[in-house]
Order: sequence, then structure tokens, then C-alpha cells
Amino acid sequence: MAQAALKRGRIDARAEALAGYGLIAIPMVFFLALSIGTFVYAAYISVWDWNIRSGPEAFVGLHNFQKLLSDPVFIAAIGNTLYYTVIWVPLTMAAGLFLAVIVNQKIRGQTFFRAAYYFPAIASSAAITTIWIFLASPDGLFNGIRGAIGLNPLFALFGYAPDHNWIGNYRTALQSVILLNAWTTSGTFMLFYLASLQSISREVYEAAAIDGANAWQAFWHVTFPLLRPAHFFVATVGVIGGLQLWDQAFIAGGPNGDPANSLMTIVLYLYNALFIQIDPGYAAAVGMVLFAIIFSATLLQRRIFGGGPA
Amino acid sequence: MNESIDRAPLPGARGRRLRRGVAYALLIGYAVITCIPFGWTIITSFKTLPDSTQLTLVPDPFTLEAWDFALNHLQPSVVVLFLNSAVIAAVITLTNVLLGATAGYAFARLRFPGRDLLFLAVLATLMIPDQLRLVPVYILFSGVGLTAGFGQYVAVVLVGIVSASSIFLLRQYFLTIPVDLEEAARIDGAGFITTFWRVILPLAMPAVAAVAILSFQGSWNGLFWPAVFLSSDQSHWTLPLGLTQFRLAGGLATNWPPLMATVVIATVPIIVLYVFFQRYFVEGVAASGVKG
Amino acid sequence: MLRRFSTLLIGGVLLAACSSNNATPVPSAASQAPASQAPASQAPASAAPWDPHSVSGEVTIGQWSSSPAEQSALASALAAFSVEYPNIKVTQEVIAGDYRAQMITRFGGHNPPDLFYVNAEYAQDWVDEGFLQPLDEYIDRQGFDTSAFFPKYLDIFTAPDGKIYGLPKDGNTIAMGYNSDLVPTPPTTMDDLVNLATSLKGTGNLKAPMCLNPGLDRGLGFMYAQGGELVNADGTAEAISTDASKASVQWYMDLFKNGLGKTAADMGDGWCGEALGKGDVAIAFEGGWLKGYMDSTFPDIKWNFAEMPVGSIGEPVTISYTAAYGIGVDSANKDQAWVLMQYLTGPAGMAIWTGGGIAVPSRSDVPVPAGFDIIVKGADYARPGSGFIKGYNDIQKAFQDAFTLEIQNGTYSAGPVVSATAASITAQLGN
Repeated sequence: MAQAALKRGRIDARAEALAGYGLIAIPMVFFLALSIGTFVYAAYISVWDWNIRSGPEAFVGLHNFQKLLSDPVFIAAIGNTLYYTVIWVPLTMAAGLFLAVIVNQKIRGQTFFRAAYYFPAIASSAAITTIWIFLASPDGLFNGIRGAIGLNPLFALFGYAPDHNWIGNYRTALQSVILLNAWTTSGTFMLFYLASLQSISREVYEAAAIDGANAWQAFWHVTFPLLRPAHFFVATVGVIGGLQLWDQAFIAGGPNGDPANSLMTIVLYLYNALFIQIDPGYAAAVGMVLFAIIFSATLLQRRIFGGGPA
Repeated sequence: MNESIDRAPLPGARGRRLRRGVAYALLIGYAVITCIPFGWTIITSFKTLPDSTQLTLVPDPFTLEAWDFALNHLQPSVVVLFLNSAVIAAVITLTNVLLGATAGYAFARLRFPGRDLLFLAVLATLMIPDQLRLVPVYILFSGVGLTAGFGQYVAVVLVGIVSASSIFLLRQYFLTIPVDLEEAARIDGAGFITTFWRVILPLAMPAVAAVAILSFQGSWNGLFWPAVFLSSDQSHWTLPLGLTQFRLAGGLATNWPPLMATVVIATVPIIVLYVFFQRYFVEGVAASGVKG
Repeated sequence: MLRRFSTLLIGGVLLAACSSNNATPVPSAASQAPASQAPASQAPASAAPWDPHSVSGEVTIGQWSSSPAEQSALASALAAFSVEYPNIKVTQEVIAGDYRAQMITRFGGHNPPDLFYVNAEYAQDWVDEGFLQPLDEYIDRQGFDTSAFFPKYLDIFTAPDGKIYGLPKDGNTIAMGYNSDLVPTPPTTMDDLVNLATSLKGTGNLKAPMCLNPGLDRGLGFMYAQGGELVNADGTAEAISTDASKASVQWYMDLFKNGLGKTAADMGDGWCGEALGKGDVAIAFEGGWLKGYMDSTFPDIKWNFAEMPVGSIGEPVTISYTAAYGIGVDSANKDQAWVLMQYLTGPAGMAIWTGGGIAVPSRSDVPVPAGFDIIVKGADYARPGSGFIKGYNDIQKAFQDAFTLEIQNGTYSAGPVVSATAASITAQLGN
């Protein structure tokens, strides 16, 4: 009997493995063809002087990488991208979690608030960016309010004139984009957290309440740790997305990352290499460096969130 | 005097009401802020072009010209744009939910050799920027005839057929569902597939809803891939492609009112879909299963 | 998924808008090449002039997306073509989104449209990469007369090998747009301009007398007027670090320093046309595209074009922007594409295209549409505003990044701008 059970277990294990491969087969085929394949292709052409139409022109070894790492604009792009990600991800996670916890309460008009708080994530970025530019422009609402409530001396300490152009000035352009994107993406992160909060049972809170925990303690000691898989997801996707910042930088600063490279990002640099300088080998080298950065960041996060099936 | 008596022993009733009032004021205040962009979009859609450059709340004069343009004079018509967008987004949403849930389940629950490495490979697909994939994917698809005719739709769908983050999101959710449930079903003799359909998937509705919303929205708003594959035939255009025709001064400026009217038309389906699916964000869908 | 979500829809619209802001080109005159080459490449048997009407088949024409007014102008020209060449069926491909990126993708896939727009800005780069078909054979075979194109427009599409790779579909020169309520008589010299701007400082609601761009896209015109140069006469070395050039950059920068000009962004405007329309400035320097914009967006503002004021070199100069039609090396229907090209860039087709009131002719034998006299007049003395050196985008970027830093840091020194630009030019020429 024990032997029968053992045998059954073995069959189960094989069936389980087969089921596993079967379920991931279709996605894996597409990933192989459309992502991993293109990555391998890019890795190959990154050591060539490559013509986009006619193919290889000369083998250049690591020349593209040397040229890349000695270009101050690329170094600036790495700096901007890391800075953006380090600030934007935690900020947006905190905002998204906060909003999710709020609209997960039994409040009147719950559907309305859930929809409203998601709005920044769906509204057109033309509308949002235009408004943002209005708000942050030299004679915009933001400068108007800080003047009216007497904050200008404080801003003057940091060297900001009363009519400072927040998005157009190289010192503050990136920060402005961080704030804009934190605001818009907080709706998306709220959605992720909102879904995850549903897996936490009310009984867990009740148990915590019996132990005398107040709402804050219950959140911090019960909810927050239980959301670990969600944190891992949001942080990973956030970092991967943040390190590929592109559209808002392009909208606000054009392909050159104006003003003065303050909005130059790694992907923008890659775009320039590919479509403006028309140098696919060089662009592929940028892609390799970007991949290495993102991959390391993701491994680091897995470690932070405690390996295994986090 | 009464007041002090009231206050001292009863911090509850009154204090709670006050706190609740403040809380709702804050909730509504933030809701107003989040609605500003959409509000501005709607207001601008009723303005004339000269008026649209002014930061005013009331259209002066109020006009339906932009709506007339959006509804009757777009190239191609708004109906064509809308249908193309809807069909592509619907297919991509469906495939993301199905393939995302099945693969997510496998990565979360089934044991097979190389699982973690394969999962890392899935995540790695998110790390390759679209800009880098563009040319090789285009060459691949044009090699198999997907850059002309009906193949153009197929190309756009295949690029978005399943996103690694759909798999990732669902996997993370499956991890939070207690294993007991599944084991109970297995003891009853159900296979992996039955367990998945009957037990696991219903419990994962909040995550399915999230993937559905985000896949739909991503596809609906997507410009990058549709621009590459659908541009050459206007009858295949989606709404975001249609939105590129509101330029002035050789691209230096924008014809805001008809653009904004079209944006309103394009935004409504996402709102409807969101409101529909957020019903699944109800507390304890998964947890209540544990109890039962 | 997140990446896709963040690819927000209008982002694309704006991108697209940014990517082709030099949309309206102007024509230029014949280069030296055709006449001398004509006999040599007369391969086809027939001695009689080749007749484009003998071609039949299909052709696709690829264009960047534009306003409905521009679309209908092109549609009129294509309709007229179909009447004259009924055997050729034309299919329009509006390349929505980022035109440059998508065209490069299609070159990579050996699948470009048969005929397509080529902006002067990147024409030399596309020639270098081998994307474009030389047209000399077609020009010679038909005996197509290129002498009516404004020479500076055609030159941009003539490669160092002497071959022509595109025919300008239209063209623009930069002129001075001024608010005629504030500026009763436009200045004719740069000194007058400075005096006028100085007197306008602080007038009414003006945020600045002039709207100026912090880059070569307008600054180059002022540099030329003040005796500066970017590269030497034969285009083999940088010339921006000469004393005269440096002084011209400093002169332009001093306009910012002295509060006579501001950037559009610093006034909360999207571009200088908007600044003029909103009354933030009295003067903006733009091309023919300003007219359609002002007519539609700010119909109540009284304004006019005037020629660029004459600077220290004592003769008029301005800069021009143009775009051409090109045929891809991999285009499937080259003969048909050529027939369409010679029609659209010929006198009859161009007259219909520019008759739409949006585009400005690139040929001197096409009637000047109302309101564009100044723009066309500039074509006689304009110098190319982009694309005259390979890798021009990088050079512009180097100039603008350094220039912006000087303005925003309040240091207003031409030195760093000149050295950054010189280094970039040298790097491009060395490649």
C-alpha cells in the first residue's frame, strides 16, 4: 500500500511537470520569438558596425561599448534614469498603497472614489501633460499659490525665482516629471494593491483587533506583511518600467532630452542612436547595458523580498 | 459647559462624526484633483480653437463644432477607428487573461524542473525596450507576410498576445491563495486543470479583473505597435492613430478642441470597463473561500 | 504591462508632433549635375524623350500625418494626377506616429513606400545609409527640368557624389512675424531690431519683446546675419570657433541677457507662434507655417511677415527648411513613383499642392500663394537651416544644450557653446 502511494506520487509529479510545461508553452513560444530572440539578435549586432538595411559592415568588438561608456551624455542618461527610478518607485508605491487601503474601506460612494482615483492613470497624457505644463509654467497656478501664501522667500533660499519655469529649467525638469508620473501611475499601483487586498480575510483584522491593535498597528503588522507578493510585483514592475522611462521625457523634452540633457534617459538615448544616428549596433549596445542594469536591479529586489516564491 | 461635558466623556459620537467629515472632505478634495484633466478635456472639446488656448473654465462661445468634426469628419471615420480598437483590445484582453492565468498558475503552483529559471526569463522579457525590439520584430513579421492586409491586425495582436506582467500579476495572486483549498479538491480526485478552473480561477477574480482592465487599457491606448503595423492602411487604424491628425503649423501646434472631443470618445469605454470590473474588488473573495 | 500602460495615447500624438516640426519644405533650383550627366546615362533605347504617360501600374505614397487642410491640399494634387495619369493607381499611406522611426523600421524591413517624404534634416543621413534611390537616371531619361527649383533647396538633396536623391516638394524660409499694433514699421537692420526691442521692453502685457529659440534652429540665421559661420566654405571643418562666429553667438545670446528675448517655454508657451498669438511677445521668427496657425488660432491678432533684418554682413540672409519626395532603393514601383514625383514637384502639381494655402512652393515658376511673398522672397538668399552636414541633429543638440545652460545659469557666455558645438562638428566630420 505504501508502495502504491509512492508510485502514485511519482506519476503525479510527472503529470504535474507536464501540466506545468503545457500551461506555459504558448506564452513561452511568443516570448522566445518576440523578446528573447530580439535580445539575442541585439546582443549579436552590438559588436558590429551594422547597417539597418544591408546588415554587417565591420566587426568592431567592444568598440560600441567603449564609445558608449565614454559619452558624457550617456553617463547623464544613466544618472537621470537611476535618480528617477529611486525616487519615483517608492513614492508611487506609497501613494498607490495608501489610495488602495482607503478605497478598500466600507465608505459611501466607494465605486465613485475607486473610479476617480484611477482617473489619472487613464486620462490622456496630452491632457495631463498640458495641464501640468500650465500649472508649472512661470505664471502658472503653482507659482501663483506659493507667492500668494508667502512661500517665495523659502523658495528663494533654494535659488528658485518667483517665476521659475519648473519643467523648462534643467534643475527641476526631472523632478517635475517624477511628480507627474507618481501622480498618474499611483492609480495603476492602487489597482494592483486593491486586487491583492482582497485576498486578506476580515478575520485576520478581527483577530488583530482582539489583540488590542489599533488600525495603524493592524495595517503595519498585519496587512503590510501579508501584501508581500504584491509589494514584490509592484516594486519589480515599477523598477523595470522606471528604468525604461521614455514617453513623458520625450513629451516634455523631445528626442534630445531638453533642457540640457536633464530629461535624457537611457531609452531616449537608445532611440536617438537607432532612429536619429541610425546606428543599430550602437543602439543594441545601449540595450545590453540597460538590460544589465535592469536585470541586476531585479535580482537585488528578489533578494530584498526574500528569494524563493516571493 | 455642556460642550465640555459632551466632549470629555464622549470622544466617540461627536469626534467620530467630525473625523468622518474631515475624511470625506479630503476624499472628495482629492477626487476633484484627479478629475481635473478629464474635466479640462471635456471643457476644451466644447471650445473654439482660439478659445482653447485660454485657460478658462467656461467655453466662450460654446460650440459643438469639435464634436461634429470628431463624429463626422475624421479620416477614417470614428466608427472605423472605434471598431478596430475594440476588436484588437478585446482579443488582447482575452488572451492576456487566459494565457496569463494558466501560465501564472503553473509558475505559482506546479512543480517542474527549471521553473524558477523560466520565470526569470519571463521577467526578463520586460527588460527589453520596445524600441530595441521594433526593427527585428518588424523584419520577422514582414518575412511571414504580416505587414499587409488582414495580417496587420494579426501582427498587432501577436505582439500583445500575452504580457509578462499579466503572468507575473496572476502568479503573485495565486501565491496568496491558501493551498488547503486546492489540496482538498485534489483529494476529491480533481486533476490540475479541473482544480484550476473550478477552484483557483474563481478565487482569483480580483487579479483577473486587474489584468483585464490593464490589458484592455494598454491595448486601447497603444500607439507604438499599431503605428508600425497599421499605419499603411487607414481602414485598419485604431483610435490613437486617428488622434495624430490634429496638428497645426506643421506639427508645432495642436488643434485641441476636436482632439479633445475624440479623446473623450476614446476614454469612455475604459471608464465603463473599469467600473464593470472593479466590482470584483470585493473584500475576501479569496479569503471567504478559505472559510467555506 | 506597465510599460504599455504608460504608453499613453496622446503621448504619441505629441511625439509625432515634435518629430516633424519642420514639416513644410520649399523647393530649390537645379544643381549642376543633371545637364552634364544627361547624355551619359541615356540607357533606354528610344531617342525620343521618354513619356511618363507610358507608365502604368500602382504606387504608394508615404507621408507624415498632418492637418486636415494639408491633407486636402495633397488630396487635390493626387486627384489631378489621376486625371492626367489614369493608368497609375495611387494609394496614400499616412504614417501615423513617429515618421522618422517608422520609416527607418521599414527601410530595415526592405519595405518602404514607393514614394515618400524626406525631410532635409535627415536627408544626408538617409543617403549615407543607402536608403534612397538616386534620381539622375530618371531626371535625364525624361529630360525633367530641375532649374526652376530654388537652388538652395535642391542642394540639400544633392549628395557629395553629385547625385540627386530627392526633389523638394515645398520649402520655407524663416521670416520675422510681428504684431502690427505694437510694431508699426518693422525694423530692417539688426541694429534697428535691438533698438526697437529695447524700446518695447515692459510695454503692456509683453513678457518679452521677442520670442527666441535657444538653438541653431533659429539662432543660425542670426549668426549668419552677424558674420558667423558654422562650418567652412567647403564643409570640411568647423568654423564656429573663429572670432567672428563667436562674436555672432555672443550677440545672439546677449538678446537673452538683455531681456530683449525669451524662450517660448520661459513664457509658458508651446512655441513662438503661440507667444505671438497670445500677445506675450511682439516679434517671433518663424516660417510660412505661422500663417495658417495664426489665421486659425488667433484670428483677432493683427500681424505680418517682414524679411529678416539685415545684420553686420550688410546683405540679407535667412535660413530655409525643406522636404523632398524620395524613392527607396527597395521601393517596389520605382517607375510609377517617379511619374508621381515628377508630377507633384512639377509646376502643375506643385501649384495645386501649394494652392491649398498651407505649403509654400519650392519652384520659382509656381504662383506664390497669398500671404507668402516674404517667405518666397527669402528663398533667393536663404541658406539651409538643417541637413547641410551629416549628423546635424547632434550638432544642434550640442549647441542647444550648452546655450540653454548659459541662459539658465545666467552666465551668458558664448565660449562654452562655441567649444561644445565645434567639438561636435569635428566629431561628425571625422566619422
